[in-house]
Amino acid sequence: MSNILRATALTLAAVSGTTSAASEGERVQVTGEIIDTWCYFSGVMGGPDAVVGSAHHTCALWCSAGGIPVGLLGDDGQVYMVLKIEDDDGSASGDTQLMLASHEVTADGTLYERDGINYIVVSQIVTDNGITNLNHDDYGPVPGFAIPKPKKN
Amino acid sequence: MKKLALLLCLIAAPLAAQEEFSEGSEAKSWNLYAEYPARFDAQVVDILCLLTKDCPDNCGDGKRQLGLLRTADDALVFPNKNSQAAFTGAAIELLPYCGKMVEVDGLLIDDPDLGAKNIYLVQKIRNAGDTDWVKANTWTKDWAKKHPEAKGKGPWFRRDPRVNAAIAEAGYLGLGAETDETFIKEWFQ
Repeated sequence: MSNILRATALTLAAVSGTTSAASEGERVQVTGEIIDTWCYFSGVMGGPDAVVGSAHHTCALWCSAGGIPVGLLGDDGQVYMVLKIEDDDGSASGDTQLMLASHEVTADGTLYERDGINYIVVSQIVTDNGITNLNHDDYGPVPGFAIPKPKKN
Repeated sequence: MKKLALLLCLIAAPLAAQEEFSEGSEAKSWNLYAEYPARFDAQVVDILCLLTKDCPDNCGDGKRQLGLLRTADDALVFPNKNSQAAFTGAAIELLPYCGKMVEVDGLLIDDPDLGAKNIYLVQKIRNAGDTDWVKANTWTKDWAKKHPEAKGKGPWFRRDPRVNAAIAEAGYLGLGAETDETFIKEWFQ
C-alpha cells in the first residue's frame, strides 16, 4: 500500500470514526424503483434516465435473472443494493427480485452503509405499485434489441 | 488548516486508490465512462453474512451476492459483473472461492455522480499464491447445466424460462400485452 493511500485511509478513519467492523443497521423506509445496478452504474446501455422504467424493463429482467445485483433507486437519488427481500435471500438471480423488476415499491428494512455503498435488507414490501416510470416513448427499448423486430408476414 | 488538510485527503483518496490498484492490471477496457483497471488481493465473502451475521454454508451456494474484502484497505468491493457481455453477474464466478484469499483483476467503477463506488467487473481470479488465472466467464455454462430444457439457438436470455414467463405475462415493457402491441406497432413501423 502506498504511503499516500495509507495516510489517507488513516486520516479518513480518524475523522469519520469508522472501523473495519460491520456497522449496526439502521431501520429505514425507502420508496423507489427496483433497478438493474450494473446498467445504472456503468452507463453501458446509456444514461441513468434511460436504464430504468418501462424502456429498460426487459433488460432489467435479463440482468436480474443473470445474477446482476438488484438495487432500489430511492426517491432521494441513492441506490440501495438489495441483499434480501422478506424471506428470500436470493440476491443473485432470486425469484422475488425478478418479479419486482422495474416496479415502484416502498420497502421497510435495515440499512447498512459500507465503503460508499448502501445495502438494504428488506423486511417488508409495504406497497408495490408496479411499473410507474413509463419512459418507453422517450427512449424506446433499451437496449434497442430488447424487443425483437416483428417478422413481416 | 485542518479543513484544508481533510479536503486534500478527500480529493487524493480516489486518485491514490486508482493509482494503487491499477498497477500490474491486465484488465481489458469496456470503454465505460468511469472505469479504471484494478488488480488486488481480497477475501471472498458473503455480503449478507458479513453485514448481518446471517451465514449459511458455502456463502449461500450461489443464491447470494458475494463481495471482495480488499486486503490493502479492508474495503468491501462489490463485483456486479463477470467478464461476459451477456447480462451476467459475478456471484457464480466467485462461489468456488467462498471464504478464500484470492487475487482478482478487472475494472472498478467510480462515478460519484451516480453514487458508484467500489463497484467491480471481475475478469479473472486466482487463489492467492497460484500462478494460473481463471477467467470469470462461466455463468452461461452454469446456466445451461441448470436449464437443459431451454437448450436451443440464440443467447441464454432469449431462452430463459423465468424471463420468458415474465414477458409472456406482462410484455416486454412490463405493462401488459395491449401496451406492448401498440408500442411495437408504432416503434417498428
